[in-house]
Amino acid sequence: MKKFLQAGILAAAVIFLVGLVFLQGRNREPQQYEGTFFGCFDTVATVTGYAESEEDFSEKLGLLEQKLTYYHRLFDIYHTYSGMNNIKTINDAAGKEAVEADAEILNLLKMGKEMYSETGGKLHIAYGSVLSLWHAYREKGLADPRAAELPPAEELGRRAAHTDIEDVILDEQAQTVYLADPQMSLDVGSIGKGYAVQKLAEYAREIGLEHALISVGGNVCAVGGKIDGSPWMVGVENPDLESSNAYLAAVELEGGCIVTSGDYQRYYEVGNTRYCHIIDPGTNMPPQYFSSVSVLAEDSGIADALSTSLFNLEYDEGASLVEDMPGVEAMWVGKDGEIRQSSGFKADEKK
Amino acid sequence: MGKSANPADLKQMKKNDMILAAALVALACVAFGGMAFYSRLTTKEPEAVVSLDGKEQGRYPLSENTMVEIRQEDGSYNILQIQDGEAEITKASCPDKVCVRHRSVSRQGESLVCLPNKMVVEIKNGEDSGIDAGIR
Repeated sequence: MKKFLQAGILAAAVIFLVGLVFLQGRNREPQQYEGTFFGCFDTVATVTGYAESEEDFSEKLGLLEQKLTYYHRLFDIYHTYSGMNNIKTINDAAGKEAVEADAEILNLLKMGKEMYSETGGKLHIAYGSVLSLWHAYREKGLADPRAAELPPAEELGRRAAHTDIEDVILDEQAQTVYLADPQMSLDVGSIGKGYAVQKLAEYAREIGLEHALISVGGNVCAVGGKIDGSPWMVGVENPDLESSNAYLAAVELEGGCIVTSGDYQRYYEVGNTRYCHIIDPGTNMPPQYFSSVSVLAEDSGIADALSTSLFNLEYDEGASLVEDMPGVEAMWVGKDGEIRQSSGFKADEKK
Repeated sequence: MGKSANPADLKQMKKNDMILAAALVALACVAFGGMAFYSRLTTKEPEAVVSLDGKEQGRYPLSENTMVEIRQEDGSYNILQIQDGEAEITKASCPDKVCVRHRSVSRQGESLVCLPNKMVVEIKNGEDSGIDAGIR
């Protein structure tokens, strides 16, 4: 009897200890992983999410990269790709013929035209002829800062004559796009990335990422919240890069998106003045109102379009635009560092 | 086969007891050793993780002052300096120098990015700032 008891105790102890070690070893709640990739929309993409294993996460990251690459190519204005009509294909056919286009392109351009009227032309997808001139001068100025100069005003004016949004003709029946002015071109840089990130977030859910944070150069989109039920915390970086204050505000995201447009990442200098990559269609010049503008919205495409527009609008006009749009909030950071927020903008002050 | 245990039985019992005790001690050692090893694996010190085009190149503890030259085949480079627990890019071949102007980083998830060189320095195991992603 005693032997049985001892054997029983021994067995129980062994099972307990082995079980303990086993549990420790395979504490396999989904782990948080993070991955980055380059090559899309001239920026870095970072995905934070949960997976059973690192292999599982890399596989999902690979799928997301493929998806984003697809949108990158579709919205590319510099390169064409075999077997695909993209924005460059449409630009190359300006004044010549209507181009058969992917439904995603038609959707994007439709959204672009809507945002043009919503923002009084501050979001302008048919502004390529002016933007390309600025692009060329910026690239030259960055390569050789001492020779940096501004594009001549007359040339800007000449090009601005070929930016009529009504000349972008969408035929949803035939699934075609036609640019009626041979000298015009589309540039979807202010909306394409946001549109793509929105689609990417929807795709993330499809491939089993229920909780993820996707960040693609100034566009951050949340899929759900964190796995423990708490929201994702996104820090809006301080445009003053020399300041030790890394973040100006921390915003909670549970689904939804935040997009920031700023003048401190992409710009060149002429004399001692900074000229950023965002150009105001009203003046054909980079606006000098803000260091950065951030927009919170459910849809990343809308948020992207609005952050560019607000960057181009004086505060009062921008603020009334935001207050008129349900579910949209914004934060403006002035050149002097002054921070203003729309009435529903919820953020923690952050160091 | 009486009701009381005979001396041989007792001896036998003692031997079994010893084996049992030894086995328990051994298992406990393995278990605690395993746990200690596991926790050492999971609690690491703060480090700067350098990657090029998404591929990890190296990890440098923030506790050691050092200078790392991240040079690529095409001649482009970034110089990473770790000083007093903070990482920063002090020099780079890129035209925009955004990475050089950027403040030094030390907290969990903070990063230095050089788009032209496709270089990222990310802080892992740093002090928690409560931020999951920065937006710039």
